[in-house]
Amino acid sequence: MSGRVPRLMIALTLLVALILQLFELPYTLAVLRPLFVPLVLVYWVMVVPQPTGLLTAWIVGLMLDVLLGSVLGQHALGLTVVVFVTLQLRGILSLYPIWQEALALTPIWLLYTFLMFWIDGATGHRADPWLQWLPLLTTGPCWPLMFALMGSLHRRNQPDSLVL
Amino acid sequence: MSTLTASTRRPLFPRGPGLGLKALALCLLALGAILTDSRSQTLTPVRDGLTWLLQPVLWVAGLPAAVAGTAEHLQTRESLLEENNVLRENQLLLQSRLEKLAALEMENSRLRELLASSSQLEERVLIAEILSASQDPYRQQIVLNKGARDGVYKGQALVDAQGVLGQVISVNPATSVALLLTDPNHGIPVEINRTGLQTIALGRGDGQSLSLPYLPGTADVKVGDLLVSSALGGRFPAGYPVGEIRELKHDTGEHFMEALATPAARLNRGRQALLVWSESFPMEQPPAAPAETPAGPP
Repeated sequence: MSGRVPRLMIALTLLVALILQLFELPYTLAVLRPLFVPLVLVYWVMVVPQPTGLLTAWIVGLMLDVLLGSVLGQHALGLTVVVFVTLQLRGILSLYPIWQEALALTPIWLLYTFLMFWIDGATGHRADPWLQWLPLLTTGPCWPLMFALMGSLHRRNQPDSLVL
Repeated sequence: MSTLTASTRRPLFPRGPGLGLKALALCLLALGAILTDSRSQTLTPVRDGLTWLLQPVLWVAGLPAAVAGTAEHLQTRESLLEENNVLRENQLLLQSRLEKLAALEMENSRLRELLASSSQLEERVLIAEILSASQDPYRQQIVLNKGARDGVYKGQALVDAQGVLGQVISVNPATSVALLLTDPNHGIPVEINRTGLQTIALGRGDGQSLSLPYLPGTADVKVGDLLVSSALGGRFPAGYPVGEIRELKHDTGEHFMEALATPAARLNRGRQALLVWSESFPMEQPPAAPAETPAGPP
């Protein structure tokens, strides 16, 4: 299964997600920016359910820490937890139709945002306690969109997403 | 056929070292990193190395803003001529004021000499280009294109044409990162221009306001008062505009009142900023700035 999806493509889409997470937006839009990196990571973990996803998540998280200037390890921890939970729940999640899956994934985004919020608090970085939860509103609707987009990128002639 | 490929791909350990165990190890590693990084400087080289590696990502992420910037270059001749005229008039006006200022400066320095004060009015400055701004709305930082090579130091004040922008919090060889006034981790000692009252202005984290929480209930403050930077703490040069009082909150019976101020500097709007060398602390590393919380990540 993993042989079908080139590693290069996973790396490239993660890079694009990092850039989307970073590029400049006006303030009002920036607080609504979806959680692109967790979205793409969770997508790949659903498609390629392998333990290497954990290490990938950790490394991408560390990169995000450096790029956003947060405490080293903050996003690494959050993304590792997100990928672990997704790996555990994958069997249940993949039974749903896409729009229900988008809803069912909300607790995962919630967990991620809570971890970020908690580590921010524990390391003495005061952030706005309400605005921080806004990306949850936009991340859910992004899931079906991204599913369609990524699916068209790599699943042209492979109707085997249920094999593993 | 499928069984063949399956057997060639058989892993060394049938189930691997346990998903949970792996996740636990990585989480502990991340927790360790968080603890180390929030308490000491040990991980700074790691961060610097990774920053260097990730420069291309930052560059690409900055492209949309840069493209928007180049659009400004495509202007009509008329608008340029018009702008030129306005600038010429402005320059004339400023020139005349400057002449007056020169005389005042001389007079001031003579008076200061009489008072045996060593403070100077002129400061060394350096123009820096803003490479990228606020990648995360909750951390108000900007990246500048001047670094240790140009003599930038940690804690250096940053101003623009309208007022104080913030201070440098980390210095790389060719770039540096500055924390803006409005970041919730930033505090700046200020003076109310009208009365000379000294207090501290903290960022509120919303990108457009400062809060002055430590005002005595009886303080003489009015809406519209100008805040200027104060040299207390030694980090900021004195006398630059910081903001203007916008709102006063005083609950009856409370000993303190809070004031909200609008920053004077054009935060997140300009492409350039001035780095100012403060006369009193050129080298001393941790000056005892009263408002300094340990400024964010090193």
